[in-house]
Amino acid sequence: MRVRAAACLLGIAFGFMISWGQFSDPERIRQMLLLEDPYMYLMMGSSIAVAMLGLRVLRARRARALITGAPVTIATQRPERRHFVGAAIFGVGWAIADSCPGPIAAQLSQGVAWSAFTAAGVLCGVWLYLRRQDRLSLTQSRLRRRGPASGSHRPTAAPSVPAASGTPRVSAAEDLDRDLGDLRRGAADPHPAGL
Amino acid sequence: MHHLLQHRPAFYVLGPALGLIVLGLAATINERFGVLGGFSNVVERATGRTRTLGWRAWLLLGLLLGGLLHRLLSGAPTVHHGFGWLTRTFGSGSVLVGMFLLLAGGLIGYGAKTAGGCTSGNGLGGCSAGSTASFAATATFMVTAIGLSFLIRGLT
Repeated sequence: MRVRAAACLLGIAFGFMISWGQFSDPERIRQMLLLEDPYMYLMMGSSIAVAMLGLRVLRARRARALITGAPVTIATQRPERRHFVGAAIFGVGWAIADSCPGPIAAQLSQGVAWSAFTAAGVLCGVWLYLRRQDRLSLTQSRLRRRGPASGSHRPTAAPSVPAASGTPRVSAAEDLDRDLGDLRRGAADPHPAGL
Repeated sequence: MHHLLQHRPAFYVLGPALGLIVLGLAATINERFGVLGGFSNVVERATGRTRTLGWRAWLLLGLLLGGLLHRLLSGAPTVHHGFGWLTRTFGSGSVLVGMFLLLAGGLIGYGAKTAGGCTSGNGLGGCSAGSTASFAATATFMVTAIGLSFLIRGLT
């Protein structure tokens, strides 16, 4: 509960500050993207600098998170194809709506009716992504369970684990039920949360 | 109070303040800041992928409350007339505006999930953690959005 309270309080501060900075005004984002106003770049740059410096200090002092007690270590990643492709798709949406998820939420609570469309779109986009991940996981788990295919069309990229000899074959319906059960328990998304 | 809140503060006030919020999340619960995770959490809960709403959904709830708080204290919403280039181009009552926003939202949600973060997740949270993937994603969405904005201006 303390974790959620901390997140909520920080969210309130963030929502208030981005509204004050007029991040939630599409005209401001447009000016930023048309390179007419340096404010947003300076603001983002100084924000990243402060957070980066602070994180370095916390890590150097081997600080532990105040509520969870875990050592402060934010995981980093190396760039993969999905980072470029996903960011390009995101950039197209951002330029059309002149809003991104934080400002969309702020617009919603300020009573900006148009933002209901953008928010609904974001929820649909996330759902489509999760559904695609479900299907990919389903296909992979079936290929794993089935073992090396006898046909010549076996996808080379798919992991293949030979089935243990004597393992009883289950029906397709049981297969599907078990896979869906896994998915419902949240075992499918390889990129959970971290957004 | 109204007057003060209707004008944005200097970047060197707002930027470090947002940086401290990002830092605050790491210092209290050791998590990377990001807003899209809240939307995702809501979808995961609604579709039965998770049983509870985690801290990300609470961060989003806080963000909604923060926007509302600013609206109440400043006495005016931050969006004044219409909705940017869309309502200027298609008119404030056009169905096209809603369709464009729905489509844009879909691209934002799908794209940010694929890239592992949005403007706040990759741009603020990931970059401040020194993640090269976040720097790459941020550079990509900035270049894409700037290019498309100039294209839209040229076409409208």
